[in-house]
Amino acid sequence: MSVETVESSTGPTPKRGVSILFGLTLLGLLVVLWLLLGLATSAFWTPNNISNLLRQGAMTAILAVGQTFVIITAGIDLSVGAVVGFTSVIVAWLLAAGVPLWLALIATLLIGVLIGAFHAFGIVRMGLPPFIITLATLTSLRGIGLLITNGSTISITNEAFTNFSRADFLGVPSLFWMVIVVAVPAYVFLHLSRFGRYLFAVGSNSEAARLSGVNVNRTIYLAYILSSTCAAFVGLLLASRIGIGNATQAEGWELQAIASSVIGGTSLFGAVGSVHGPLLGAFILATINNGANLLNVNSFWQRIITGLLIIVIVYFDQLRRRGSR
Amino acid sequence: MTGLQEVSQRHEDELEAAVAKGKPILELRGLQKNYGAVQALKPATITFLSGEIHAIVGENGAGKSTLIKLLTGVIPRTAGEVSWQGEPVQLATPTEAIARGINAVHQEVVLCPHLSVAANMFLGDEMNSKGLMRKRAMTDAAQGVLDDLGFNLPANATLGSLTIGQQQLVATARAAMRGTRFLIFDEPTAYLTRQESAQLFRLIRRLQGEGVTIVYISHRLEEVFELADRVSVLRDGTHVGTRYISETNEAELIALMINRTIEQIYHKEQFALGETIVETRGLSGPGFSDISLSVRAGEIVGLYGLIGAGRSEFALGLYGRHPLTGGEVYWQGRKVEIGNERRAMELGIALAPESRRDQGLCLNLPIGLNINLPVFRKLTRGLTINRAEEAANADRQIRDLQIKTPSRRVLASAMSGGNQQKIVIGKWLSHGAKLFIFDEPTVGVDVGTKAEIYRLFARLLEKGAGIILISSYLPEVYELADRLHVFRQGRLVASHDYRAASHEDVLAQAINA
Repeated sequence: MSVETVESSTGPTPKRGVSILFGLTLLGLLVVLWLLLGLATSAFWTPNNISNLLRQGAMTAILAVGQTFVIITAGIDLSVGAVVGFTSVIVAWLLAAGVPLWLALIATLLIGVLIGAFHAFGIVRMGLPPFIITLATLTSLRGIGLLITNGSTISITNEAFTNFSRADFLGVPSLFWMVIVVAVPAYVFLHLSRFGRYLFAVGSNSEAARLSGVNVNRTIYLAYILSSTCAAFVGLLLASRIGIGNATQAEGWELQAIASSVIGGTSLFGAVGSVHGPLLGAFILATINNGANLLNVNSFWQRIITGLLIIVIVYFDQLRRRGSR
Repeated sequence: MTGLQEVSQRHEDELEAAVAKGKPILELRGLQKNYGAVQALKPATITFLSGEIHAIVGENGAGKSTLIKLLTGVIPRTAGEVSWQGEPVQLATPTEAIARGINAVHQEVVLCPHLSVAANMFLGDEMNSKGLMRKRAMTDAAQGVLDDLGFNLPANATLGSLTIGQQQLVATARAAMRGTRFLIFDEPTAYLTRQESAQLFRLIRRLQGEGVTIVYISHRLEEVFELADRVSVLRDGTHVGTRYISETNEAELIALMINRTIEQIYHKEQFALGETIVETRGLSGPGFSDISLSVRAGEIVGLYGLIGAGRSEFALGLYGRHPLTGGEVYWQGRKVEIGNERRAMELGIALAPESRRDQGLCLNLPIGLNINLPVFRKLTRGLTINRAEEAANADRQIRDLQIKTPSRRVLASAMSGGNQQKIVIGKWLSHGAKLFIFDEPTVGVDVGTKAEIYRLFARLLEKGAGIILISSYLPEVYELADRLHVFRQGRLVASHDYRAASHEDVLAQAINA
């Protein structure tokens, strides 16, 4: 019996079977978009625009990777946009108070860890649905951020910090390097370590995972902490890019992150997902926005196109899944 | 009050005229189903006669589920013809099958647990008046049907508040009142108590009396002999024969099913008993109280009782899943606290839980991941998992246990009941343990796999392990257990040595008759 007819489409073995094909399809879509935009407008293939595109996609991509960990456990993290805005305020506030840069960075990331731990606490100990607890922090964090800044913004004067997001390394924007800094360990974690397997198991059947000796509570803590920490990291990048801390920034980014993840093949029912999928999803969305700007498409249309694209891609993904059974 | 007759009358006119009793109602000619290169059902030619009870038996993976799915329009056929009342039909969708009067009652209830019993019975077929539902009339009608069938169930209760067995009866009543001509039962008694089974059998005979053709799929051959007029046997996707029940016997059917004779399904070997592995003293927890028993190396301890008697709860308590409220556990003579599942595993306890779907398997993940789930810690080198060892470990269990799959990457949900049970067992064989708890290991499992599982028990005992075997199927625990404990309402009410008490006595103790 060596005929391999029924291939798994789930994440733990992304190097094989249909999963890689789907990844290639998405990559193909991205390349086709780039080629078409290159033909349609001369401004697309300019170093300036490509750098811009990579910067635009980078932050959503990092959020989407963190979000994917949570969605694989059959959860959802609605708070990531608010966490980005909130942590941009925190880092600006700390820097304005004269805290050394390295300490401000670490402290801000720790805030991310704490927010994630609080989400997991609400889910594990209080039995709240992930949708509810993260919706609650979404609104509360924006409120706390506005209280701290008294409704305005905090300027960042630390030039070492603000120059970072404009810098290039080997001709590639430093923001894009940050995607790689996050994605490589994320890939090792999700696809090569046992904790990744546990995320899938908990998302598939948490009782079966528990009876197999998996520490389900710890796995849920891990997923939400990783998501919030990714968001706090993006908060740092955003603060560096715009040079201010503002609690109302990153409005709606949680939906961008979820959309990127889902376009990248993650199942909202849990137990299906990868690291490369959401990355591709984030850059597909960024390309559409970028292209629409270059082509002078009304920004209202951009939103409509993004919505339609989500429907089409996820529809074809589901057809593929059904077909492979 | 309305009875079944009146309610099902609503649909009588919609159906075509019934075929005379004893004439072919549904004929399959060369019906075939392939999944890719795998032939799930090789060309099968079977005729179902109007008004008969036609049993279908076969091992897991023999093609029984495929056949049901074809007949109920869930999957399209690859080749072959189907004639319904003499006319060729497509049966392309479930709606078409139901419109023609072909219904199925599935092993696992697929209804809405949050709706009332009556709402479920009328689901998709509600009584309306001017666009509004006639809720009261439906509840009354549903109650009428339930009373008429002799099911002691309230029609206004929430479905989810009933036992699985009771839900199964509701599902059956639901199918019965749809004006069904042809009703397929897929392992209907897997979750039923004896009493519920008896109620179900009465209903089946009654439907037969009203001219309904019944297809009855079961692993329990004694049920087949009790109910059926004819029996068709499937093996490895091939239809190997159809017999009149009066002209065959259990031995012939088993030989047809597995192509070899089983002298003894209940394979038992006696081993010299070793040290005491585990002993509980007055153990209490949610759903059980004051349980004292012990398991020695080389011994099978059977826990018998009806569903809900506290056996599974005791197992989960011992395994650290639920907090204990009293009593002590001694592991190899030392007093231990088992606070969580991890601790139980480290001591050397393995649990193959009662429900494969809810507790045993991650169904939408690959077989390989399921098998390795308890041992990823051992497979980890530094930060990452050793992929070669991971694959080798999964493949070894698949080979040793003869799990019928083309690859370890197939999802567990694609497997039949018996193969799924083997995956659960494979998890614990790769982890290793001193005490194996098997909770209902042969529910929904065919005769051939059953025998394999029992032989596996002997292999485990030979290596010095002890086994706790939980079953609601008396012959199983009766024939296998060295010591048999009877549970009733959360308490241990009687204990017997191997074959020391009669079936009747044990049963009476379990139901307090």
